[in-house]
Amino acid sequence: MPHRKYLALLFALLLAVACGGGKEVVDEADLGEDDGAPKATETAAGDTAAPAAAATAVVADAATLNGLVKFEAAAPPKMPALQMGADPYCASQHPTPALDEEVVVGPAGELANVIVYVKNAPATPAPSTPALLDQQGCKYIPHVSAVQAGQKIQIRNSDATLHNVHAMPEVNRAFNVGQPVQGMVSDQKFDKVEMTPFRIKCDVHGWMKSYMVVLPHSYHSVSQMNGTFSIANLPPGNYTLVAWHEKYGQQEQAVTVGPKESKQVSFTFKG
Amino acid sequence: MKPQEPIPHNYSMKTLNGIFLWTSVGLLAGTLVMVMYDYVRGWKWFQREFNRIQQERIEQELTAKNDAEMRKRLAELDREMREGQVEIARNREAYIEAQRDLDKWEGRHYAADQDYRFAKAVLDAKRYEFEAAMVQHRRDLREKEHEYNEHTAKVGRLNLVLQDVTRSRDAARARVDEFLTRIKELENRRKELTAGSDLLNKQLRNVAVASVPNLLLNAPMLDFINPTLKIDQVVLSDLFIDMNYMSVPRVDRCMTCHRAIDRPGFESKREAERLAEQLQTQLDRNLVLPARRAETEERVAELRRIVDAKTELMNPFRTHPKLDVFVGSSSPHPLLEYGCTVCHRGQDRATEFGRAGHTPMSRRMEMRWEKTSPFFPTKGDYEKRNWGYQVNPFLETPMYPRQHFEAGCLKCHATQMEVRDGERINKAAHMVELYGCHACHKIDNWRFTDLQKPGPSLEGIAEKTNPAWTFRWIANPTHFRPTTRMPSFFYQRNMTGPAVPEAERAQNVRYQDAEVHSIVAYLFDKSTHRNWSAPASGGDAARGKQLVDTIGCMGCHIAQDTIKDAKTGAVRVAKRDDFPLERHFGFNLTGVGSKTNPNWIFNWVKNPKAYDPFAPMPSLRLSDQEASDITAYLMSLQKQRFMQEPIRPPLRKAVHDLAKGYLINTMSDVDADAKLKAMSDREQLVYLGQRSIEKYGCYSCHDIKGFDGLKPIGTELTTEGSKTLHLFDFGFFGTSTHTHDYKHEDGKKEYVLHNVPSWIYNKVRSPRVYDDRRTKPYNDKLKMPNFNLSPDEAQLVSSVILGLTKEKVAENRLAARDPGMRAVEEGRKIISQRNCRGCHVVNRNGRAIAALITDTNFLPPDLTPQGERSQSPWLFNFLKDPTVMKIRPWLSVRMPTFGFTDQEAATLVAGFAAEGDEPQFDTHRFATPSQQNVAIGREVYTMLRCAQCHSTAPVDPANPPVPNVADTTSLAPNLTLSKLRLRHDWIADWIRRPGEMVPDTRMPANFPRDPQTGGFQSPLANAIDTPQFAGHRAVLRPYFESDEALRKTMADAVALTNYLRDYIWSIGLDQMRAARPGSEGPAPVPAPRQPPAPAVQTGDRGGQAILPVPARQAGLPVLHK
Repeated sequence: MPHRKYLALLFALLLAVACGGGKEVVDEADLGEDDGAPKATETAAGDTAAPAAAATAVVADAATLNGLVKFEAAAPPKMPALQMGADPYCASQHPTPALDEEVVVGPAGELANVIVYVKNAPATPAPSTPALLDQQGCKYIPHVSAVQAGQKIQIRNSDATLHNVHAMPEVNRAFNVGQPVQGMVSDQKFDKVEMTPFRIKCDVHGWMKSYMVVLPHSYHSVSQMNGTFSIANLPPGNYTLVAWHEKYGQQEQAVTVGPKESKQVSFTFKG
Repeated sequence: MKPQEPIPHNYSMKTLNGIFLWTSVGLLAGTLVMVMYDYVRGWKWFQREFNRIQQERIEQELTAKNDAEMRKRLAELDREMREGQVEIARNREAYIEAQRDLDKWEGRHYAADQDYRFAKAVLDAKRYEFEAAMVQHRRDLREKEHEYNEHTAKVGRLNLVLQDVTRSRDAARARVDEFLTRIKELENRRKELTAGSDLLNKQLRNVAVASVPNLLLNAPMLDFINPTLKIDQVVLSDLFIDMNYMSVPRVDRCMTCHRAIDRPGFESKREAERLAEQLQTQLDRNLVLPARRAETEERVAELRRIVDAKTELMNPFRTHPKLDVFVGSSSPHPLLEYGCTVCHRGQDRATEFGRAGHTPMSRRMEMRWEKTSPFFPTKGDYEKRNWGYQVNPFLETPMYPRQHFEAGCLKCHATQMEVRDGERINKAAHMVELYGCHACHKIDNWRFTDLQKPGPSLEGIAEKTNPAWTFRWIANPTHFRPTTRMPSFFYQRNMTGPAVPEAERAQNVRYQDAEVHSIVAYLFDKSTHRNWSAPASGGDAARGKQLVDTIGCMGCHIAQDTIKDAKTGAVRVAKRDDFPLERHFGFNLTGVGSKTNPNWIFNWVKNPKAYDPFAPMPSLRLSDQEASDITAYLMSLQKQRFMQEPIRPPLRKAVHDLAKGYLINTMSDVDADAKLKAMSDREQLVYLGQRSIEKYGCYSCHDIKGFDGLKPIGTELTTEGSKTLHLFDFGFFGTSTHTHDYKHEDGKKEYVLHNVPSWIYNKVRSPRVYDDRRTKPYNDKLKMPNFNLSPDEAQLVSSVILGLTKEKVAENRLAARDPGMRAVEEGRKIISQRNCRGCHVVNRNGRAIAALITDTNFLPPDLTPQGERSQSPWLFNFLKDPTVMKIRPWLSVRMPTFGFTDQEAATLVAGFAAEGDEPQFDTHRFATPSQQNVAIGREVYTMLRCAQCHSTAPVDPANPPVPNVADTTSLAPNLTLSKLRLRHDWIADWIRRPGEMVPDTRMPANFPRDPQTGGFQSPLANAIDTPQFAGHRAVLRPYFESDEALRKTMADAVALTNYLRDYIWSIGLDQMRAARPGSEGPAPVPAPRQPPAPAVQTGDRGGQAILPVPARQAGLPVLHK
């Protein structure tokens, strides 16, 4: 019976397949894959080159923002003297009592300690120079600061008393480090961008406060005693400039800078 | 040959042939249809589709692997190999010669080897013969011995020959190898290089959808041999499923379609984002072992790819979320041990969508699922998730819909107060406990038994409030407090709702009025009337408010009806969800002045246990002045509007009718009339009140005189989640006369799907809804009160109910079985019942009061490390009477006196100790540190300037000096109290890693961890040699053998903290006062007072229906005809 023959053949084939006869077939296919003539995988090389080129281009025609932060009020708020009596060492560091640094206004109504940064600028690599946060005379110097994500921050205790540095970020990792030894430096860094300024406090000395913001780029500045600030190396473009003050909150301003432009901007906080 | 004569038949061959033909065709077709029917299975599509997804991925990966660099290296190797072959070809003659030589030697070796082996076998035989001859003293002994010796020599000879031949063969082989080494080495290198791709190719072979072998393997009728598409299953021999009155082991086949359920890499975008974030944080914080860092980084990259991908995988192909908790092989619930249906429910063996018992979570989902193509579902159906779903009423355990997934936890975890990582189910169980579902509905499992009643005792209600308020409150609790836990019993949708016919509604209003009045009458009639003393002195409301805000009342209470919306910033009416559950433990204080009287408040806040010995409110040990101030403040919280809501007087007829309705259950109509006639109006009202309290089950939640020991009113819920669909009364929902939806009282549209979870959800959300469009006698109408739950709250509560099943799991599968874990859970139950989390963090959760305390320095302590931290005897004493020691005198929040019994305090102490994995008693309690250690410790203490915050001056533990703002030594606990309170070894541990134990502590890390090694760094390591510390160095030096030893110790954080501990231990006090019994404060002795004579008047206003009576009517209700 021819049928039976076919059936047997079919069965044999089946067994062959089931027991791995299929292997060879696929192996050949594999080989084909391996030998694979050049395929359309012209990858990273070209892509990475572009931004690098762009980055170099940016520095070439970078703009600079110079500005002034002013304060408008009938009279600048009178800051109370800090009561440092709790720690005799601190009190002894200030022959004339130190004033609270919440609002520091210059003689012509310039507002200091305002963090000014570009909100929507492209990220830049973290600088290799560390930022310094000093504790001197039981005060944080600087009182407010902006650092970059991943940038090393050196926190120094220049006082001959115990300070603890209690950073209270929301996004980044909080820490609370004791510094019992004068001249001690503790290295810290914040890995993530945190645009809302957070507090750094000393639990030993209740009056000690500092504010910090962690940005993805280097386009930031803090207004000086004379109210000025300066942001350099900014690639041309449309930006939103943010100014933040510990008491008077946040302001935003749109700026457009052209290549190699040096632009003046100003912020005014009302008391 | 002559054709045969046709034999005459009575049938026609032709017709028969026709019949045979058609029946065979029919049979064949039938068989084909059967084969087809058997072959076309829904799950196959999923497997094929998943294979396709995998194939795509593998191909992509292969392409990525086979990049230019790789191709270059391969080409290089191939070229070298060709060169090698050319080389061999060039020396062809020599190579062939060598090969031939090898062949020859191989042959000789084979022969020599065989000779040797055979000879050895013969030798064994000869040895036996020789031995046997010796033992049997046979005559041929000599002969045998000779033979044996001869053979031994022969074997030795043959062995030598073999060794010789082997040497020659090896030499020949080496000669051949010389030619091949290079090629072989190149081959190995190639193999190494392509190992990754080879593996992928192997995988690809298995999943390739359209490959010929796979098509054949999966072909109809052939697929019985070794198909690549096949049903996957997990057999769970000790987890049972109830099938037709028989428990059989579960065989879960879910992974037949849910292919990637235990395979990472197929996550949903949301899950991938969560995981990536989590892993990245671990990487950032250096919590990943260095050996696993690369692997983790690769995984994060993979997850980010999933997040960034354009499309998302559809559900049956996704990885189970939280693989570290569920399904993953290293999770507590590995797939092979737990399967799927034990948590999710559903039919374990089913492989079809509908039969497996999938349950839709919403009407929209149900409608999408219901659609399908006729006959067979098509690919398009699957892609659109049109599964052809229909309710399977015969399935006893359909799956939990998605919003109730966590209900499954309760099967094994109802032995715990909270499930790890189960935020939702924990909140849900807490809600059930807080709202008191267990009070009316018996829930017979550990979690929901032995809980206190959710409502206050009403046995002294007349001392606390007045009938006018009580009436308005019972009638409409939410009018007084929108966030209240008290449910609304009256004027609900099945009584006075818009769908109730006009005439019936008017009647219902009259009846409901009468019932509320009657309940008030009963409660006030049976109430005690003790005389509470007036506030000791005039109170200052402002000071009172400040106290209420700061001493800890807000851990359990709320005092606001409005809240600033977190998103919009606008002020709006507060909802329950705006506050943590802990703050609903006590009631909302708004309007409390309208409700109570100064005398009662004064005495209540001073000592709640005097009013009700079982009151959950603790004593905050208020002075008379403080209590007066708080009384003044609370009395200033008035709700005039509420107190002006009209009260309709009860109608005599309504009271009579309702009372008679109850009486005729046990007596004849005439007798009932006679009995009622003999009663005064007031008596009738009180009688009705008693029956109404019985009807509505008020006594289940409140202590009410006359109702002791009655069974709770509601259906038992112990196995409610296992009740089958046909036992639920859906009323007219889902029938042709009514649609699936209804409008909830709060205006939202709700759906009733024809499944149990939906029924329960809607019952909880709108308890009377199943009376819609039904005609029922007044007393037969649904009476479950309305808790005014938001959709989310209702979902949570119904999750718990669904989780209460009769499915039993083996003892060894229950969570928290061992005695230590039991101790923790028993402790946690008290923690929940006393609402410790209102103020404290326990096990990383809680501290509801934190919302009101902006300065973290003034938060009550975190109890997460309490077991490791405190000594049991101290903790016991402190819990019984917190005045024995004031540890943190700077806190304004007070640790209340709870009035714990010895048993409760001991349970809490044991629970904490077990949680900290510590023995009950500190084994180092009586350690005495050496003088030397103490001296070193003291020096280190000074160098680290600990004294800046900690005082070491001995104090009275109960009365430490009041903190002085001008002195930083009041910032931290006085260290002389440590020895009484803290465990010996914990002290050093705490100094090393305070932030790890209590994240927001003020105590700084003086020995911060090295970011690279994770070890502790000492600030004194380098500083000891500076002039700053010269003095200390001089003191320390004599204690050490060498400068080097001193330096080494100063750099050793563990040694330093141990010295510090020894110093702290040495200055510790040894004595403190024992807990005073009954230290809740002086219990006032209220004098019994005559109850005022019931001032019931009988108004006569003819048939006039309901008239408003003057507002603020404080007296008892007036009956109207």
